[in-house]
Amino acid sequence: MDEPIVLVGRTTPNPGPQTPDPGAAEPLLTLTGVSKRFGGALALDDVGFDLLPGEIHGLIGENGAGKSTLMKILSGVHSPDEGEIALRGETVRFGSPAEAKARGIGMIYQELSVMPTLTVAENVYLGRQPTNRAGLVDWKRMRQRSAAALRELGITIDVTERLGKLSLGQQQLVEIGRVVFSGADVIVLDEPTSALSGPEAERLFAVIRGLRARGKSLIFISHFLEDVLAVADRVTVLKNARHVATMPSQGVTKHRLIELMIGRDATSLAEASEGGTTLPPPVNSAPVLELTGLSLTGQFADVGLTVRAGEIVGVFGFLGAGMTEVARTLFGCLRPLTGTMRLNGRVIRPASPMAATRLGIAYLTENRRATLFPRHEVYKNITLAHLNRLVGPVFRHPSEIAVAGSLVNRTGVRPANPTMRAGHLSGGNQQKVVLAKWLTRQPKLLILNEPTRGMDVGAKREVLDLIKELRAEGVAILLLSTEPETVIAESDRILVMSKGRITKEFANERVSKDQLMEFA
Amino acid sequence: MAQGIPQPIGAPAGERRASGDLGNRVLRLASRNARLIAPLTTLIALFVFFSLVTDVFLSTRNFQNIVSQIGPVAVAACGITFVLLCAEIDLSIASVATFTGVLSAYIFGNSWEMFGITLNLGVWGVLVAAIVAAGIGLLNGFFVAYVGIPSFMMTLAMLTIAAGMAEYVTKGRILPAASVPGELQDLASAGNRFLGIPYIGIVALAVLIVSDVVLSYTKFGRYVYMTGGNREAAEMSGVNTRRVVMLSLMVAGFTAGLAGMLFTGRLHNANPAGGTELLIQTIAAVVLGGTSLFGGEGGIKNTFIGLLIFGILSNGLNLIEGLSIHFKDALEGIILVGALLLNVLALRLERVQTRAD
Ligand SMILES: Nc1ncnc2c1ncn2[C@@H]1O[C@H](COP(=O)(O)OP(=O)(O)O)[C@@H](O)[C@H]1O
Ligand SMILES: [Mg+2]
Repeated sequence: MDEPIVLVGRTTPNPGPQTPDPGAAEPLLTLTGVSKRFGGALALDDVGFDLLPGEIHGLIGENGAGKSTLMKILSGVHSPDEGEIALRGETVRFGSPAEAKARGIGMIYQELSVMPTLTVAENVYLGRQPTNRAGLVDWKRMRQRSAAALRELGITIDVTERLGKLSLGQQQLVEIGRVVFSGADVIVLDEPTSALSGPEAERLFAVIRGLRARGKSLIFISHFLEDVLAVADRVTVLKNARHVATMPSQGVTKHRLIELMIGRDATSLAEASEGGTTLPPPVNSAPVLELTGLSLTGQFADVGLTVRAGEIVGVFGFLGAGMTEVARTLFGCLRPLTGTMRLNGRVIRPASPMAATRLGIAYLTENRRATLFPRHEVYKNITLAHLNRLVGPVFRHPSEIAVAGSLVNRTGVRPANPTMRAGHLSGGNQQKVVLAKWLTRQPKLLILNEPTRGMDVGAKREVLDLIKELRAEGVAILLLSTEPETVIAESDRILVMSKGRITKEFANERVSKDQLMEFA
Repeated sequence: MAQGIPQPIGAPAGERRASGDLGNRVLRLASRNARLIAPLTTLIALFVFFSLVTDVFLSTRNFQNIVSQIGPVAVAACGITFVLLCAEIDLSIASVATFTGVLSAYIFGNSWEMFGITLNLGVWGVLVAAIVAAGIGLLNGFFVAYVGIPSFMMTLAMLTIAAGMAEYVTKGRILPAASVPGELQDLASAGNRFLGIPYIGIVALAVLIVSDVVLSYTKFGRYVYMTGGNREAAEMSGVNTRRVVMLSLMVAGFTAGLAGMLFTGRLHNANPAGGTELLIQTIAAVVLGGTSLFGGEGGIKNTFIGLLIFGILSNGLNLIEGLSIHFKDALEGIILVGALLLNVLALRLERVQTRAD
């Protein structure tokens, strides 16, 4: 390692990363030797981190590396099992988010905590409305002050507008405005750009730089490494709950960051090449799904792809890359602005999930809550999608339960009891139920969005085996995932999506995790 | 209700295994059917209570009374069951019932000149009125499901509209017995019985059975349950949830109309200002039966039990000597609160059970 990188060894106690420039000011904030355990799993293992005044500090790492956990400890959501936090040289313990907030630490999560039905002004003042002498809310002052506060940050938004009417990017700016206005000196942005379009992200960066110029310190978490390199002064890399490196972003390449995130030591190398794979030659079966020039403003642009019968096409991208939106468009939840969709050669424009279902499209959403009926029996969950085909106008439960029972067996739901409430199953088994729902009638096209996220190894294997079985039966499968391992391990061809566009196709060649991340 | 409450889990395995298994199974069975068991217990308790406290309660005559009293409520309750299962509400049923009753009487009592023919629909006016009631429900459903007005607001507005129309049709007067179809009066009067059961009870039972078959054994019924259970999931499973909601509100309008006509038959007149208590009685009965206000759970069997609870309660309270009639009204409201409490408790019980599994 000849770059100015501080590697922290596994055995030595972590004194906190040294500042690369010793001449710089005292750190505003230092986290030392922080460890955090959830149940049996270590989410953070002896991690150090520091933040200088007037600095933008990028924090990167793969999914599950521990970034959010570190920030939650910083902001009082979790308390650390070990290690300490020092703010302006003074050791602090935050018992709650309110305490951290009172000490000037402001968090902006990806899921915004603003109130969509309130106006911008009310959101900026959330919980602290100014009152006049009569004890009533002083609306005029609130409007003027909030507008001024936002303007100071370079944000021009009509403060009387209801927040829900603004774009996600604007909402995020209001959230930043609120955090700054509440007196935060340390502002944490946890994956703020994943859901933003290009121009909106640019505007966000401008605001962030403006804050730095005013002496605020920011921690910026993002999967988009270009963004991190463009905006951050220093970057810290976490990997598997451990601190890997902290370095100035000047002169560092994206490739180098990927290497650090994935690891290039002996074991990691072995892992990485094991994770890599050689894609098979393309199949020549008839195309089932053909997308050309599919666009939806603010979501995705010029998406073209083909999925053939008996083929699994994997799409890799980070959250907000537009994959879910493409899937929702195929399933009739969204209407594309331009472009065509063909199923078995015929142009389709599904107007609803019902229409898409009738066409033979099945969609396993990324959010299990959105597809499971926890308080209903497993068999009712399974038969719902194609009830028309299973039963006449008046039906008998035993035959319905029998159909569901055979699918319970096929998907390996445990316990294999179709009359049990679905909510009583474990997460992995719930996912199998949701998948079984789409197998009462063989789909032509099966869209899988994060089919195995959060599942244990055994259940994961079973689901993936089932998917391969369906491929062998000629189903065209579109597999969307933010986990590079899943996409690499299961796909016949791989596309990478980034910020709404397909940026790369891998076919009939060797592909590995870092290559995917390079294009995402 | 006590038997449904799960004990703390995590009892040591081993010597307590055998008894624990059986206990657990009973517990699980009880809490899985909490929605039926809790109201059933209430029903039995009330039955025993009134049997002991009053001498008149336990008699054929009194039961015939109860049946003819809750007959119209039972019919309207069927529609409300559909709507609540969808996780919607219909506040307009009472005034839709009134309007429909008035309309059937109005059509019965009038004739029209059309293309030179004198049209007198007579008793067939009942059919027209029923179709109008279904139409009102459909309108409710359309605005709720396709336009996106919350059912609470839409049906509140319809409550006013239907009440206004009832006044308009009758010009504010009570239409006398002569203008109420005799068939309706025969059907609804407590004195007309088949095998000892008042006709109106048989009508109510028929509507209950048809509703139960639709909800339990047809695709539409399943869609109603699933839409109420998780609207988004139903939609993402290819269910046309809007249509399901619309049709459920249509059913509610239709059954409200039937109930309204039975009312006019029982009262032997059509009063545009009457019948307002039907709404609270119906919802009370359905919720007392254990159908979830949050959708997806319960059903006609629950509603049936709820109706019996409600009928026995209001009848039994009348029989207790010295209880003021005015206090009875307040008591009806208090009972509804009790029903809501039961509802929330049942829901919580299931959550506990879900976590324990
Ligand atoms: N509240 C929690 N309970 C249990 N495990 C958690 C919790 N929060 C995070 N984890 C686990 O800790 C690890 C780190 O998660 P996280 O900090 O969210 O990662 P990142 O933000 O880098 O993607 C993951 O394995 C995650 O599953
Ligand atoms: Mg995170």
